[in-house]
Amino acid sequence: MHITVNDDPFQLEAVSTVEQLVTRLGLDPNGLAVAINNNVLAKRLWPEHRLAPADAVQFFQLVTGG
Amino acid sequence: MLTIADKTFHSRLLLGSGKFASAALMQQAIVASETQLITLALKRVQLGKPQDDLLTPLRQLNIQLLPNTSGAKTAKEAILAAELARDALDTNWLKLEIHPDPRYLMPDPLETLLAAEQLVQRGFVVLPYCGADPVLCKRLEQAGCAAVMPLAAPIGSNLGLQTEAMLRIIIEQAGVPVIIDAGLGYPSHACAAMELGAAAVLINTAIATNHSPVSMANAFKLAVQAGRSAYEAGLSVQHLTAKASSPLTKFLASL
Repeated sequence: MHITVNDDPFQLEAVSTVEQLVTRLGLDPNGLAVAINNNVLAKRLWPEHRLAPADAVQFFQLVTGG
Repeated sequence: MLTIADKTFHSRLLLGSGKFASAALMQQAIVASETQLITLALKRVQLGKPQDDLLTPLRQLNIQLLPNTSGAKTAKEAILAAELARDALDTNWLKLEIHPDPRYLMPDPLETLLAAEQLVQRGFVVLPYCGADPVLCKRLEQAGCAAVMPLAAPIGSNLGLQTEAMLRIIIEQAGVPVIIDAGLGYPSHACAAMELGAAAVLINTAIATNHSPVSMANAFKLAVQAGRSAYEAGLSVQHLTAKASSPLTKFLASL
């Protein structure tokens, strides 16, 4: 299944939840947020939300800034 | 005490977390400043690169974290950034900033007001960065913003209170805290802002890019305290002629 992650093509071998994708990418969930097709997916839904073909997944993190 | 929405703060100095040379220096400056509110930004994760753990040390300092929407060019983008920040940080506090122009980083008043109205409806505690426009500040207050953050000068310019006349009107009319943001470069600028009656100031560049950020953080802390004390005491009346401080006796004339 093809999706994009932060605009780059990404291949998922099997059905995957957002939480599984976070783990696979080695991302620290602390301070992390995700938008799927430009809609924010709340962290509490990550374990159950299954990604669909062509989903555009974008991960954001908090950084320093004024 | 400074009250914003349902929270009170003994410090009237807000700090921006950008541009520090290292995380350790930022932490030391935060401690020296005695700030209780610090801003953060949001950006897309760069996959394959290690993520900096910014939050753990900040949470240990027990200060209110204030995510911003920097990078947003429209109300729509700012609302998405706000929702992301709320989920990432588990806070509904937000510094709303929308500045599409990269040269002067002037906040877009129309998009800012539009976004503020919608974010308040969505349950955010909105602190909007805005121009020093008394009408706009009143409209943002009426939209339900918890404070207004008019600029003193362009972001990072260190030019000081370029908008002083308008800031005086904003402060006089405000029913919410006025936090003067952007452009304050010297502790004397912050002191003057507090003497005007600002509820607080936000400093980033002037501290973070100084060669001694910890000393400068302390200097800004003292300046903010001095300015606030002066405001509470009431500033003395200015005169165009001298008013003698010593008794004017005639003994000198008799020599």
